[in-house]
Amino acid sequence: MAAYMIFVARRFAQLLLVVFLGISATFFITHMTPVDPVTESVTAITNFGKSDPEAIELMRKTLTELYGLEGNLFEQYVTFWSRLVRGDFGPSLSAFPTPVSQIIFRALPWTVGLMISATLISFTIGNTLGALAGYYRKSRILKIISLGLIGLQPIPYYVLAFILLILFGFVWPVLPITGGYEMNADLNLSFALVLDIIRHSILPAMALVLVGAGSWLTGMRALTSNIVTEDYVTFAELGGVGSTRILRSYVVRNAMVPQLTGLAMSLGAIFNGTVITEIVFGYPGIGTLLINAVHAGDYSLVLGLASLSIIGVAIAVFLIDILSPLLDPRIKAE
Amino acid sequence: MQTEALLRSPDIVVEPTLTVERLKAYYTTKAFGIDRDIRAVDDISLTVAKGEVYGVAGESSSGKTSLIKTIVGAIRPPLHVVGGTVRFNFGGQTYDIYDLKPDELQAIRWRHLSYIMQGSMNVLNPVRRIKHSFYDFAFPHMGLGRATFWDRVRDHLRKLDLDPGVLDSYPHQLSGGMRQRTTIALATVCTPEFIVADEPTTALDVIVQRDVLTMLRDIQRDLGSSFLFVTHDMSVHATVSDRVGIVYAGRLVEEADTPTLFRSARHPYTQHLVASLPKIGDTTRRASLSGRPPSLADPPPGCRFHPRCPLAMDVCSKEVPPLVSIAPRHRVACFAVTGAPS
Repeated sequence: MAAYMIFVARRFAQLLLVVFLGISATFFITHMTPVDPVTESVTAITNFGKSDPEAIELMRKTLTELYGLEGNLFEQYVTFWSRLVRGDFGPSLSAFPTPVSQIIFRALPWTVGLMISATLISFTIGNTLGALAGYYRKSRILKIISLGLIGLQPIPYYVLAFILLILFGFVWPVLPITGGYEMNADLNLSFALVLDIIRHSILPAMALVLVGAGSWLTGMRALTSNIVTEDYVTFAELGGVGSTRILRSYVVRNAMVPQLTGLAMSLGAIFNGTVITEIVFGYPGIGTLLINAVHAGDYSLVLGLASLSIIGVAIAVFLIDILSPLLDPRIKAE
Repeated sequence: MQTEALLRSPDIVVEPTLTVERLKAYYTTKAFGIDRDIRAVDDISLTVAKGEVYGVAGESSSGKTSLIKTIVGAIRPPLHVVGGTVRFNFGGQTYDIYDLKPDELQAIRWRHLSYIMQGSMNVLNPVRRIKHSFYDFAFPHMGLGRATFWDRVRDHLRKLDLDPGVLDSYPHQLSGGMRQRTTIALATVCTPEFIVADEPTTALDVIVQRDVLTMLRDIQRDLGSSFLFVTHDMSVHATVSDRVGIVYAGRLVEEADTPTLFRSARHPYTQHLVASLPKIGDTTRRASLSGRPPSLADPPPGCRFHPRCPLAMDVCSKEVPPLVSIAPRHRVACFAVTGAPS
């Protein structure tokens, strides 16, 4: 157990290092842009007329300080980190003076809620069907389902999304086609609001699940059909162990090691947002936010979103590392 | 007629535990619309009496493993049974392996019939502790309460000189020999009447081999089970088997009590096999048999050994020699021994 704690501590130190390097790289890349955001903002404001040089100079100074752009690049870098450890990414440049963190955390629950449910649903469906299809290879129904889900894969995602929109928004208009909730909805937490949010998330989630489940299914079916030929499965069959038990404790249990690694990776990637889904379905998440930030040249917002994604992926990798020795005893905690 | 000869011999119990009759099992592969049969088990008949250790010997790819897989009903496509029967007799009840429903077969497995697979290094689930394997395999067949069951398992392990602590280990934490002995313990914990072991000592060094063989011998004496024991290693047969059947290219070519087989084998192939064994003090060079074993997809006509046989006659390439009793409990399939058909 002590060895395991040391292992966890070491992996945690690695996590901090990865996050530090990743965010630093993002910082330097965004600050190498030839556009000076202070000039941009000052121009934007002075365009409306009044141009007292002293006031402009004052404004320039204030903005430089607010944006964290005082001094040379290294001093800016230090300022950036001293703000970041308090969770402060500075003000958004396009929605000045709202802080970046506030904008992100307003959009984050939408993306996270949608993506976590879609990822978990497609993981469950894909792996269950994949395990069954790999184990009961003769079943006709499973073959048809697998073929259908795999057949959806080569369809470009946005085409599939539009097909769903057309089917459920126009041909059979049962579901809302855009937004995360009804316009003018009362945003106080209530049963009606939750229902409304779920109704709005069905189409984007369905699109994500239809595409995601197929790839989980393909992977799981391949894993399963390999594992069923392993000696320990044959031996269990000859030992008169029931087929449900074999499927669960022998086949799926062994296939779960790589599959859960994949799940953690896709959960970590949630913070990247799903730009296409959110744009197609007009969903108010961080994907939409990122596109808008890039269009507006709002690099503190881009930096904030990038940092979030770096932290998300790094934490996912950390969790895989510390959980895999528990899943597969052959992996040593070192 | 052969069965009569067997029945007349005094030390054979009337009802054998295993009766294999004219068993044929082929690997059928389809490629480009052409079916190809690989005749891995071709017309084999044999019996194993209660408490007997029957050894199956033969070189690689002679069909030993296919034979016993077919006997225990462990075949998967493309291997399939073409003809013949496999009957077990457990406590007066007859079970025809290829006539049972899947759940009936599942019910006799491990309780009456257990199988130690070839390559036992990987037969235990790598991600679960060994006690779970014992539970999955043995608990449903033993009809005991949990506490009694675990007591029985621990007793069994101790009797086999294994530390009951192995139950809490993962397979990868055990050495090869330990893993093999644990697998044997797992295969014998339900005290089955019939145990099939496929090359159980092949991957082990000689010291561990001796431990495993002693263990198998002790278990066999203790339980009075019948054993079907497969190995290419003739010296292992000499120490373990009561009776040995020699398989060549999917056919049984000779079968006799172990001492008879080693002292007075009649089939030219068996004679070569026995002569190839090193003997202490004998420094003559061992002759290797020329040629190689035939392809089972396209075996030579007649006796499959005739292209390599020093005694080959004209008839050998035309007709298949039947397995004939030449003495009590000694059967040979060779025209040079039994005389050519008129």
